[in-house]
Amino acid sequence: MAGGGGGGDGEPEFQVAPMIDVLLVLLIFFMSITSSQVLKVDKNISLPVASHGVKRDDKAAAGLINISWDKTTGQAKYKLDDRELDPNDKDGIAKELQARKGTNDKYRLLIRADKECHAKYISKALEWAGEASIENIAFSGLNREE
Amino acid sequence: MKRAPQEMPSDAGFQIAPMIDVVFVIMLFFMVMAGAVKVEHELKTTLPGNAETSTATEIPDEITIGVSENGQITINEDPVGTPQDKTLDGLFNEMTKLKQAAIQSGSKLLITVQAEEAARYERVINVLDVLARADINNVTFAVAEPE
Repeated sequence: MAGGGGGGDGEPEFQVAPMIDVLLVLLIFFMSITSSQVLKVDKNISLPVASHGVKRDDKAAAGLINISWDKTTGQAKYKLDDRELDPNDKDGIAKELQARKGTNDKYRLLIRADKECHAKYISKALEWAGEASIENIAFSGLNREE
Repeated sequence: MKRAPQEMPSDAGFQIAPMIDVVFVIMLFFMVMAGAVKVEHELKTTLPGNAETSTATEIPDEITIGVSENGQITINEDPVGTPQDKTLDGLFNEMTKLKQAAIQSGSKLLITVQAEEAARYERVINVLDVLARADINNVTFAVAEPE
């Protein structure tokens, strides 16, 4: 059986060009896996750990509600993507969610809430989802402790 | 003031060695960052509600997991574990048993997580995470009205 490669008489030279190719490919790989999230997330929110959840699917259509927690006042603040919401405007929020959902039955509402937040504030976001006929709800958590 | 004459190199071409140095440093940075990367996971639930059907439907075994304000977890009002227990192994064992029993009897298992109004969101996620670990997908979440 014939051996592959080689063929030269002298010492094999170190080739810089293929090494740069490999380096760049590795660089792009590591850059891509450390890339930021696509959805507009609120960085002030400290998420709880949900290590057994499924990896977030950013391709599927989803509305994102960020619920931050103010420790001093003990109140929650709501944001739809990066726009602040008035929690008393239930109809307005439901209409907006309904418009975003359209006819897509698989549309889901993604809730990113601070781990200190009380359940009644989560319930409010679920009410809006109910009003907008969104049945699929997903809660966000981190894969590991911060 | 006289300026010292600058000698121009005869060939100021593209230098490969410093470029490789820089690429190595950038790659090392991203490699280290990749180890510490935090990814967001999601726990899926559905809203509790009434489904209108024209045919007879099988009523699944319904289990209610309560989450109280102090973090105590209950299964159909029986306490499981302690409020400080984060791994909730007791709940996981119970859920695994229920899942096995449901598979053997061919019935559906429906879990409702019912949290008190002032229960912490982290505790709710702990419970939902245990359900995901036990591979239970039919989960609804509700907040209990104050009595």
